[in-house]
Amino acid sequence: MLKLQGIRAGYGRIEVLHGIECTVGDGEIVTVVGANGAGKSTLLKTVSGILGIWSGTIELGSTAIHKKSVERIASLGVVQIPEGRQLFGPLTVEENLELGGYAKRRSGRKAHAKLEEVYELFPRLRERRRQQAGTLSGGEQQMLAIGRALMAEPRVLLLDEPSMGLAPLIVKEIFTILGELNQRGLGMLLVEQDARLALSLAHRGLVLERGTVVLEDTGQALLNNPDVQAIYFGQHGGRRDSRTESA
Amino acid sequence: MTFEQLLQYVASGLTNGSIYALTALGFTLIYNATDIINFAQGEFVMLGGLSAVSLHEAGAPLPVAFAGAVLTVTVVGILFELLAIRPLLRSGVLTQIIVTVGASLAFRTGALMIWGRDARPLPSFSGETPVRLLGATFNRQTIWVFGLTLVIVVALQLFYRRTLTGKAVRACSINPMAARLMGVSYSRVVLLSFAVSAAISAAGGVMITPASFMSYASGSLIGLKGFAAAILGGLGNPLGAVIGGLLLGIIEALSVGLLPGGSSGYKDGVAFLILVLVLFARPQGLMGGRIVDKA
Ligand SMILES: Nc1ncnc2c1ncn2[C@@H]1O[C@H](COP(=O)(O)OP(=O)(O)OP(=O)(O)O)[C@@H](O)[C@H]1O
Ligand SMILES: [Mg+2]
Repeated sequence: MLKLQGIRAGYGRIEVLHGIECTVGDGEIVTVVGANGAGKSTLLKTVSGILGIWSGTIELGSTAIHKKSVERIASLGVVQIPEGRQLFGPLTVEENLELGGYAKRRSGRKAHAKLEEVYELFPRLRERRRQQAGTLSGGEQQMLAIGRALMAEPRVLLLDEPSMGLAPLIVKEIFTILGELNQRGLGMLLVEQDARLALSLAHRGLVLERGTVVLEDTGQALLNNPDVQAIYFGQHGGRRDSRTESA
Repeated sequence: MTFEQLLQYVASGLTNGSIYALTALGFTLIYNATDIINFAQGEFVMLGGLSAVSLHEAGAPLPVAFAGAVLTVTVVGILFELLAIRPLLRSGVLTQIIVTVGASLAFRTGALMIWGRDARPLPSFSGETPVRLLGATFNRQTIWVFGLTLVIVVALQLFYRRTLTGKAVRACSINPMAARLMGVSYSRVVLLSFAVSAAISAAGGVMITPASFMSYASGSLIGLKGFAAAILGGLGNPLGAVIGGLLLGIIEALSVGLLPGGSSGYKDGVAFLILVLVLFARPQGLMGGRIVDKA
């Protein structure tokens, strides 16, 4: 279980997060919705250790992780799929996946079995295993980003806008797979602009406004909340069309 | 110039060129991991050669002196990273580059105090009798140098292409933060890059010492030529570094043979002429620079 308490953090001297409380139970999907600049990505960065926190604690089970290095936190099973996917473009699909499993240091048959597991989930990645990751379509790249994270056998997956820049059909496919992964017990902290879609997948949701959690409820309750609907389900609260590309 | 003479020039070019190639490769490994141009690279070559001289004089057989020298300089490279480069991580790449310039002076001064001013020799790896090949006679050392360089290049290639650690190093040169998010320790990758870079440059230094002696001051020129070779091949491209090095060696040797006067007076100028030409005409080098992440 991942537990954030009183998280304050920011850039330079500007505080962006003003005391965030958030827990992700085992096998739970928690969605964070909020406008551009609310601090959603910043929140994920504090969990994965990219951004140090000013005060508060972050615990994984009974281990405090907020003072650990990025690579240590990843090795402990808190695995982030960063904004913009951040694949190793010049490396092949398979090399990207192998690197995803770096912390596990598998070799031989075990490494192969894990790769096969991911290829089962994303058959298209198997077809393109020898292709450079940078040449994949947007949808395939997102699949690779998820597959790469799964190679690490995460205890909690941190996802930053998995729908970004993807056509609606592909987004649906991706979210279906996220749902399946959750069925198998994987917990997720999911940040998403497409609030309707993300909340329908989530057990619980948080609404983040300028660095403060203003609302917390079950995913279903937030979906039906008139305020949330008015602010986050409108034309402008949805996906940013300018970033949409076909897969 | 007869064909036989041409072969001779090419052979001597390959000898020096191999050393430039290894030095250029040393630059490349550090540059790819850190964006640092290590101006102390040539000093690793010098330290390699002189350490081998001392070990050999102390009675170590050549192969042992070779290995011992490479090991010594690897430790120097590791300490250099830990003590001079790592503490300056937050000060930025430019500061780190300036530190490498200072370190280069420090290494030279240290070498002057340990080994004195004189250029020192090593015996050839397997005697002086030349071998005949393709109708020309070749120095045995040439074959050693070229052969060992090939072995090193192929071994490195296998390491970076086939092993998980090697792939992690490549991942770090593409996107360090993404690599860290997979659990790769970037600081260890940097340390490894300095260690390997120092090791291969030192190996180059040991191999060239029988052919052209080594003094405390030899490192700077070799370093600058290695840098020119790396630029010629495309800075950040390992294959380019090797090809650039060999090509530079051959062009240098041919310039001695072909230019009027026929002396080696021009030789050292050639590298810098090429450096300037490449920077003007094709700054990305022959093979293109480092492949950056466009994903
Ligand atoms: N590297 C940075 N340096 C300085 N300020 C930053 C940096 N990254 C983000 N910020 C600022 O922090 C605030 C929160 O940004 P953040 O990226 O967390 O928002 P977000 O909720 O993820 O927005 P979006 O939906 O656009 O991704 C913004 O005001 C932003 O300008
Ligand atoms: Mg964001």
